[in-house]
Amino acid sequence: MATVTARALPWYAAPRVAHALRQVKRYPVVSLSILMLFLVIPAVFAPYVAPYDPLKGSLAKRLRAPAWQQGGSIEHPLGTDKLGRDILSRMIHGARVSLMVSLVAIFVGGTLGTALGLTSGYFGGRVDSVLMRLVDISLSLPTILLALVLVAAVGPSFGTVITVLVVLLWARYARLVRGETLTIKERDFIARARVAGASHVRIMTRYIFPNVVNSLLVLATLQVGYVILLESALSFLGAGLPRPMPAWGLMIADGRELIVTAWWVSMFPGLAIMLTVLSLNLLGDWLRDHLDPKLRQL
Amino acid sequence: MRRSLIFVVLGLLLALAMTLGTAPSRGLAQDAKVQKLVFASAGFDEGNRFWVIPRPDHLQYDPFLETLLDVDPKTGEYAPRLAEKWSNSPDFKQWTFMLRKGVQFHNGFGPFTAKDVVHSHSLMLRPEATATLTGFWRQVEKVEVVNDYQVVFHFKRPTTVMPYAASRAGDLRIVSKAQWDKEGQEGFEKRPAGTGSYRYVGRQPGLSISFERIDNHWKGEKPAFKELVFRLAREESTRLALLLSGEAHVADLPRELQKDALKKGMKIFSSSFPVDWMTVYLGGQYYLPNDPAFKPDVAWTKKPVRQALNMAINRKELLNTVFAGKGTMTYVTGWSDKSEGYSVEWQSRFDRMYGYNPAKAKALLKEAGYAPGQLKFKILAFTEPGESEGPQVAEALGIYYKDIGVETEIEVLDWAKVREMFRKKVIQCCIWPNIISWRPAEEWIRTSYYSKSPNHHYENEFIDKQYELLTKTVNPAERQRIARAIADHLFEEFADIPLFWFANEVVADPKVIGEWVYPGLAAGRSTHFNLIKPAK
Amino acid sequence: MQRFIAKRALQSLLAIWVMSLIVFTLVRVTGNPLDVMLPLEAGPEDYERVRKHWGLDKPVYVQYAIFLGKAVQGDFGNSWKWHGHSAMSLVWERLPATLQLAGFALLISVVIALPVGVLSAVMKGTVWDSVAKVIALLGQSLPAFWLGIVLMWIFAVNLGWFPTSGKGGFQYMILPAITLGWFQVAAIMRLVRSSMLDVLDSEFVKLSRIKGLSEWKVIWKHCLRNAAIAPLTFFAIIAGVLMTGSVVTESVFSWPGTGLLVVDAVRARDFQVVQAVVIVFAGIFILTNLLVDILYAYLDPRIRYQ
Repeated sequence: MATVTARALPWYAAPRVAHALRQVKRYPVVSLSILMLFLVIPAVFAPYVAPYDPLKGSLAKRLRAPAWQQGGSIEHPLGTDKLGRDILSRMIHGARVSLMVSLVAIFVGGTLGTALGLTSGYFGGRVDSVLMRLVDISLSLPTILLALVLVAAVGPSFGTVITVLVVLLWARYARLVRGETLTIKERDFIARARVAGASHVRIMTRYIFPNVVNSLLVLATLQVGYVILLESALSFLGAGLPRPMPAWGLMIADGRELIVTAWWVSMFPGLAIMLTVLSLNLLGDWLRDHLDPKLRQL
Repeated sequence: MRRSLIFVVLGLLLALAMTLGTAPSRGLAQDAKVQKLVFASAGFDEGNRFWVIPRPDHLQYDPFLETLLDVDPKTGEYAPRLAEKWSNSPDFKQWTFMLRKGVQFHNGFGPFTAKDVVHSHSLMLRPEATATLTGFWRQVEKVEVVNDYQVVFHFKRPTTVMPYAASRAGDLRIVSKAQWDKEGQEGFEKRPAGTGSYRYVGRQPGLSISFERIDNHWKGEKPAFKELVFRLAREESTRLALLLSGEAHVADLPRELQKDALKKGMKIFSSSFPVDWMTVYLGGQYYLPNDPAFKPDVAWTKKPVRQALNMAINRKELLNTVFAGKGTMTYVTGWSDKSEGYSVEWQSRFDRMYGYNPAKAKALLKEAGYAPGQLKFKILAFTEPGESEGPQVAEALGIYYKDIGVETEIEVLDWAKVREMFRKKVIQCCIWPNIISWRPAEEWIRTSYYSKSPNHHYENEFIDKQYELLTKTVNPAERQRIARAIADHLFEEFADIPLFWFANEVVADPKVIGEWVYPGLAAGRSTHFNLIKPAK
Repeated sequence: MQRFIAKRALQSLLAIWVMSLIVFTLVRVTGNPLDVMLPLEAGPEDYERVRKHWGLDKPVYVQYAIFLGKAVQGDFGNSWKWHGHSAMSLVWERLPATLQLAGFALLISVVIALPVGVLSAVMKGTVWDSVAKVIALLGQSLPAFWLGIVLMWIFAVNLGWFPTSGKGGFQYMILPAITLGWFQVAAIMRLVRSSMLDVLDSEFVKLSRIKGLSEWKVIWKHCLRNAAIAPLTFFAIIAGVLMTGSVVTESVFSWPGTGLLVVDAVRARDFQVVQAVVIVFAGIFILTNLLVDILYAYLDPRIRYQ
């Protein structure tokens, strides 16, 4: 009779570890809490949580190292930047700025895209092909290039960045919503509503839209991270938010030439972006897997 | 579905082909002794048409194109170069240059004679010419050829700054007429022939320019390094990396990064003289009577406010923090001790009038009617390759001004936008720091303060009258007096916020470069590469 | 099929034309290039003279008409910043460098993403799956320029394994390509994974297993082939994204490609070059999409009649 040899299992198959990792995958509790820690709490409570004014610095205290390094002190746990401003405070306020920019851009872009996508999918015909051409053109715009040119034209500001982001974002929503609309509008309950005399607008908003919300949510979640990255890239190129706003992208750009000596100026905002976007992506993945597996192609 | 696999494989092959199908490997020569000197530069306007290139970017011509006069690396005086002697008529309307004999152009284009001077000057008259001194060169009525080795420049009005314009600090590069006749503009652009101790080899736009030493320079100059390469890298951290890794031997680094280079054993080679100064200009100072662009509600049209804005700044601290302590004070914007009308009195009066005194600044503001928090304006900032400190200075100013109860907002634009604003006189809202290179006093006054020129930094009737008088005056003592009167006026009126003079500093590997003496005042700032002495 | 191709080609041309219109107007809003070209000393006569020389004194629609007329012949005018070069010649000179970088970056990302995706699909639900996902996601979460700078400092300056910047032999390409390509690893991996999962579950794979084929054979022979079609579409999208993503990477590594060219041109308000680059990029992207569409239609006849 065969005996089952009790061989030690490799660490990754150890029940507890595997279970823990499955939890991460299944329940976005972990990623949600990272998200809360880095983005949401600081963003909402920034003025109360941040120890210093992000815009005020003292030139005498410039480029102080983080607390655990030589030359650092607990006064400025993550060090100070070129102008003596506390990095931790700027990062906390930066979370707020990043979140605001992303949410506004996605909301406006998403609304615009959804409205156009619904119209396009529902009415079909010429409206559809014109709008889809627009989507194609919009998706083929060399994004960063146009952002550069636009900002060179009107100067960096909160409004300009939002406009640029909206222009770049709306098309994806439009395409997604249009695709879904095309499928949904063939269904029976739509036909029934039409027969009952519902207006086009009513059908679109009351019947089609709620079925599309799931996908929209997934896309939006996935895009917050992307927008944060895009905004930081624009700021890096000088085409993003204006100084002296404590945006993460701007902070990295500021510290770029100091990366060897005052590495903390760029490193911490970079880490913040990474962790935030990572947890958003994990969240989005989970949402997609559970809400709507059809969207795996996103 | 086999087809799809084929397509994917084809796609991968395409990617592979794109990867491998280009420039052959060019390894860096790792000689025991450096034969090819590599200078990492922040970048400049590239091109061989020197008549469209501004003066600071003439760095790219310094090794191989020469000028009539040189700038002495130690004394800063104008010295003979392609011209052996020069003189002017009593009314300063004619300038005669005796040309050097026996100078040969590169690539066999023959000897240098008067016709080459005429030709080089004519290039400055072309419709696309945008070099710094094109305006000046257009004031030449004619260039008379007396004989093969003597030319006379005839000017419409008295001109005292001709030596400056014809020197290495100016932009009249002497090129070969014979080449232009034979090869045309295209041939010239491909391989311009000059008279310098280096010869132009070629360039890769956006990447590098290379030069090689010639054997038979007319002065017998033999630069220590057989080849010279300017390597372009716009990112500061990239230039530092190039220097530290040994890919470049000299680099143009911002002061911030110089510390790091020094820590790793590099050495700074400074120009003999201060070259650029930084001042914060105050917009909207149009004091000519009935000027519609003048807005009386602009705070700094009141002198106490201007003084307050000056006294709020701790210049020493600003210098030490943003510029690593490398600079000297500017007392009157644009005037160095080499300028006409310079006065040593300014230095002794400066502390009392402009020195750091936030309490007094607050009092002055109050006197002018501005309670804390009432005064708000914008600080404009921009960066240029090699000049990255603008936004930092702006932010530092913001902090100083906050301390005296003034609210500021910083807007980072590009230089062209700022320039457009002051050209069109719509910059009353703002102040802006700018770094400008030294030029003779008369030129500086004309550029900035004379109302008929496009820049309008500070204008009034007094300056206009004095300037016009200056242009007609040829007696040196009189000229000093008038220039001094204008400068004194600017000093007393707190016309702007003068900050610092900077020398040009490059960082180099002391194992490669032993000594490099250069004035800094020549066009391109880092010049006289032929004088570099290698390390022993 | 013919009609389909013709229709799509026409639409593509329309898209390119609209692009040119957008770029032309946008670029002229950025401001006056004369303020960049002329020195501080320049007077009003100099402005007039240079403006006339470059044809900027004509009304905008006339300028556009002239531009369009020359553009269809391939002449995008002369550069204002890089004197002596025509805008198009600059783009052609620099394009190979960008394509090279993009190609290599794509190669790296596919080479990493393919096996990771396969592994992840095959080992679905295990630790490896999660690890793979996190690695890929990491790539999508890092700001590219930050990654580039960090890579440069670690590997080029401190370890000295690679050169810091510029273009030369093979070793100059590695750091920029990793920076550029890492972002795509996640997307490609996810795609491969989901395609593989779809196929792994399918009937005919089950059949192959019943037939007794070895597991590896099943995976490579049957699944991958079927899974490969999806990345095709992505290929086109990624190609476009890589080309524009190169703007940031080229800035950090001073890679002399079109990305760096356009950044410098925008700063210098060199309209001619900006127009040329944007239109060429958009053109390449649109044409790639067109080709992929045609290929798809060829493979899947249903699409032709959409």
